Amino acid sequence: MSELVAIFLGMVLINNFILVRFLGLCPFFGVSKQLGSAISMGVAVTFVMAIASLATWLIRNYILIPLDIEYMHIVIFILVIATLVQIIELFIKKTNLGLYFSFGIYLPLITTNCAVLGITLINATQDYSLSSSIVAALGGGLGFTLVLAIMSGIREKLELANTPKSMKGLPIAFIIAALLGLAFVGFSGII
Amino acid sequence: MPIGIMAAIGLACGLIIYLVYIKVPQKVKGLEKTEEITSILPGMNCGACGYPGCFAYAQALSQDPDLVTKTPCSQVLQDPDSLAKLEKALGCKLDAAAMCKKALVHCGGNSETVCDYYGVQTCKAAAQLLRGYRKCPYACLGLGDCVEICPQGAISIDPEKNIAIVDPEKCTGCGLCVTECPQDLIELVPAGTKVAFLCNYQPLKNIPGRERCDYGCTHCRKCFKACEFEAIEWNKETALPEFNQEKCTLCLKCVEVCPQNTLADFTKMGKEKEAELVAAK
Repeated sequence: MSELVAIFLGMVLINNFILVRFLGLCPFFGVSKQLGSAISMGVAVTFVMAIASLATWLIRNYILIPLDIEYMHIVIFILVIATLVQIIELFIKKTNLGLYFSFGIYLPLITTNCAVLGITLINATQDYSLSSSIVAALGGGLGFTLVLAIMSGIREKLELANTPKSMKGLPIAFIIAALLGLAFVGFSGII
Repeated sequence: MPIGIMAAIGLACGLIIYLVYIKVPQKVKGLEKTEEITSILPGMNCGACGYPGCFAYAQALSQDPDLVTKTPCSQVLQDPDSLAKLEKALGCKLDAAAMCKKALVHCGGNSETVCDYYGVQTCKAAAQLLRGYRKCPYACLGLGDCVEICPQGAISIDPEKNIAIVDPEKCTGCGLCVTECPQDLIELVPAGTKVAFLCNYQPLKNIPGRERCDYGCTHCRKCFKACEFEAIEWNKETALPEFNQEKCTLCLKCVEVCPQNTLADFTKMGKEKEAELVAAK
């Protein structure tokens, strides 16, 4: 139990996907303009991470390892993640068309998101059990959503500030992200 | 052999996607109608109707056509072409003349500035500090929150008086500026309004207008007495004139007679100094 808590806390704060591992930066800068869409994106990524962790754990432990082809794991994981994202896209298109259009290109972009592939590879290299994998995926997703929410809150307030014209938009967002990363370094070494 | 495994997993994934695709019907009900209505709507995605974009509004309309009477798209109301097409698509009649509204800023703008303001240059921030830097606590601050939010660009800042003025021709009455103004200055008046009342000082029976700014209403009732067509009624509770726009003939006697210059011709607002009006910032 304490091991699961340690993994969870590690994924959310100490080894945060965006600010410490620098994975999944594309939706971080792309969808973090408004709080609503940022949270929706975070929830979608968490969902994909959790299901992908489950599926890849099963495939790795019951197909890849018994047949001794563990070196194929990157390719096969990408296949599985792409399938999952496609299925999720079909479901979102059917149930909530407005959300589907508001995600735009960023929903299929979860397929190539380093954070999702990253969580599956972390589970593989650390050789986590099934429960640890899922807890790690949920923690990773929660950390992702947390940082996305923080960034969108800051960016919404930044609209009012007197930014120099050449820094408006992405440049100042990069600098803010760097400052956030610096802040999160304070979490390192806790566990 | 490993290639065979990978091919097998790939085929299994493809099969799963195909199964989900045929099980989950993609034809959302009423999508054609939604797309038809979306092509009629202006496509500005201003959000004034309360829906996140024209597509979402069209979706709601295709399910419940009565919605157009409760929350109409104000831009469609102004354009007779789109209005006719929308009426045909939804199968209902809209009384555009009665529903059309325009925004009016209830401030004449001559309250003097009490101090210099160097804070965040938005009206909302300035209004937090003792309701602004003007002598009248309900005056227009002229920093342009309404100018930014207006999707038609109908609002501009008068450079002399530093207040916002709405151009009634461009305004579609969507109401975004009404919620945006922190001093509650803007009101949606019917499109047929002829005379505008330019003072926002909240109703009291004493004479606050004169001591706060040159343009304030002093409740002298000269306008009420000057009107020959009985188009002005005096509200005893609020001590303010009320204008009956149907009886008004735009003779502008009340505008001349008012000693404080609180009344103005609504149809000419924003057009007198068109060359001098610039957008804020």
